[in-house]
Amino acid sequence: MSAKTNAPYVVSVSVQGLIAPPRMPPLPAMPYSLAADGTPFLMPAYGSIVYNVSVGDSAYGWLADCVHPSVSVKLDEATGNRGLNVLSCVGNEAIVMTGNAQRARGTVTGKTGRFSEQVIVHFDPQVRQELAIGDKIVIRAKGVGLAFDDHPDIKLKGCSPELVEALEVTTNSDGKLSVPVVAKVPPHLLGAGAGLTSEGGSIHIQTADRQALAEAGLDSLRLGDVVALNDYDSSWNHGYLRNAVGIGVIAQGDSPRAGYGPGITLIMTSASGSIEPMIAPGVNLKTLLLDG
Amino acid sequence: MGLATNADQLVEMAVVGYVSQPTVRGYIPHASGEATILPGMSGMIYNARVGDAAFGWAADHLEPGASIAHPDLDADYAMHYLTCIGNRAFVMSGLAKGAEGIVTGEHARLLVDLPPDAADEVGVGDAIQIRTLGQGLQLTDYPHIFLKKCSPRLIASLPIEAVDDKTIRVPVTMELPIQIMGSGAELNPDFVDQDLMSGDRQLMAELGIDQMRLGDLIAINHADHRYGRGYKPGAVAIGLCIHGDSVMTGHGPGILTLMTCDSACIEWTIDPAANIANYLNIREIS
Repeated sequence: MSAKTNAPYVVSVSVQGLIAPPRMPPLPAMPYSLAADGTPFLMPAYGSIVYNVSVGDSAYGWLADCVHPSVSVKLDEATGNRGLNVLSCVGNEAIVMTGNAQRARGTVTGKTGRFSEQVIVHFDPQVRQELAIGDKIVIRAKGVGLAFDDHPDIKLKGCSPELVEALEVTTNSDGKLSVPVVAKVPPHLLGAGAGLTSEGGSIHIQTADRQALAEAGLDSLRLGDVVALNDYDSSWNHGYLRNAVGIGVIAQGDSPRAGYGPGITLIMTSASGSIEPMIAPGVNLKTLLLDG
Repeated sequence: MGLATNADQLVEMAVVGYVSQPTVRGYIPHASGEATILPGMSGMIYNARVGDAAFGWAADHLEPGASIAHPDLDADYAMHYLTCIGNRAFVMSGLAKGAEGIVTGEHARLLVDLPPDAADEVGVGDAIQIRTLGQGLQLTDYPHIFLKKCSPRLIASLPIEAVDDKTIRVPVTMELPIQIMGSGAELNPDFVDQDLMSGDRQLMAELGIDQMRLGDLIAINHADHRYGRGYKPGAVAIGLCIHGDSVMTGHGPGILTLMTCDSACIEWTIDPAANIANYLNIREIS
């Protein structure tokens, strides 16, 4: 049975940000970050227009630190940026308001956390050729307040009605919400982002131990994949709780840093375990929202 | 006889901070959803000290003793990175001028324990100067074991045993499972603590974690805290409980990294008295 929501009553509101430049720490700080084994590295990190990484590509292997596929949007003014970050939902439509790509349409595919606080927007590669850092992007934010009619103990976070529909979630015979995912992340492999807000931002799979990653079936994730978080409650922040279940999308690429790896944007959580993740191949934003 | 260190090569340098005004975040949602306003962060706490319970206070992130900060961000960072646990701290202004305290933790602010008669006279804004000593400290015969924020005084006070030429053994009050290590995973281990996640209250009781005291030494198995805070099978981190419990999801008592090794070269024994109140003779605890 398909799960109904209060989507007709959810308000669609405009939030605007600018395409964010990549940033580096000021002198005299060195530009290096440290890998989990202490090796200094210098690679592109979050922000900007990324021409050759898109949702649907591998989350691993890129010479980058938590790369955001396609375009990253932010406001420098903190409270405005908070509105942008919290109200934007995965699956929302984005529109280029200024510059050479005026009127081009894109889709929100993720949000990132402490230190970056950006919204990640997919635009087709040919649109990216025309974009400039500083271009204004309006997002038609819609999804905050969204809830399931028959699952009061499941909270939707940063999730558009369009994504709920595309996921084709159903209520199973046990009364739980059945959600297709490509993999389940065990709690010991969740790192940076624990204790931080689940209304925006990210919680990261930690990948320093490649064997543990492979054992959990997480070593071939793609950007945009839908995953489950085992034993994690994200009702107010992200935190460990036995039997709680979260659902998120892989929004950012891998990282060499300790405690970091692909960043997850949370879309649903149930502290009481009322979500039943069902493993299915290829559950990815590319096919759910972007293609066709 | 303690383990050999390079303490005679360390530089002792002054930093100053000022006793802070408390901060309040407004309403905080409990994991269960109710919202409350609670004290805890910053300020001068009169009735909670190292050696007291970490759980049970009507407070959030309770910081025992005096919390000090510097208003200039760069100077504040220097204070954070240079200060080590066990460093001597001196009240430089106000009614308690001349009193000596000791650094017992590093959270958003530095935490200084003062004798009760001095604490009674400390005012918000009073200067506290710390004689920082410890950054660069190593166990000479165990260079693969990283020390973080350990003063020579702290190391000398701990009954650390040499097991073999790779391994040491330290007393702790308890071991924490790696999957409950939470907020602070995004920070480096030379800067503030990492909260254990106390949201699974039943688990806290089952494992006796809710008996933790401020100042307890703690072991975390499978935690590599050398250059970040991450999961690594066989790695070990030894930490110090520096602040109290929290109602916020993903938070709980703060565990500050003291030692870490990327393989199983730190063993531990469980000793309920493994608390810096005892080791550093800060106060008598039962």
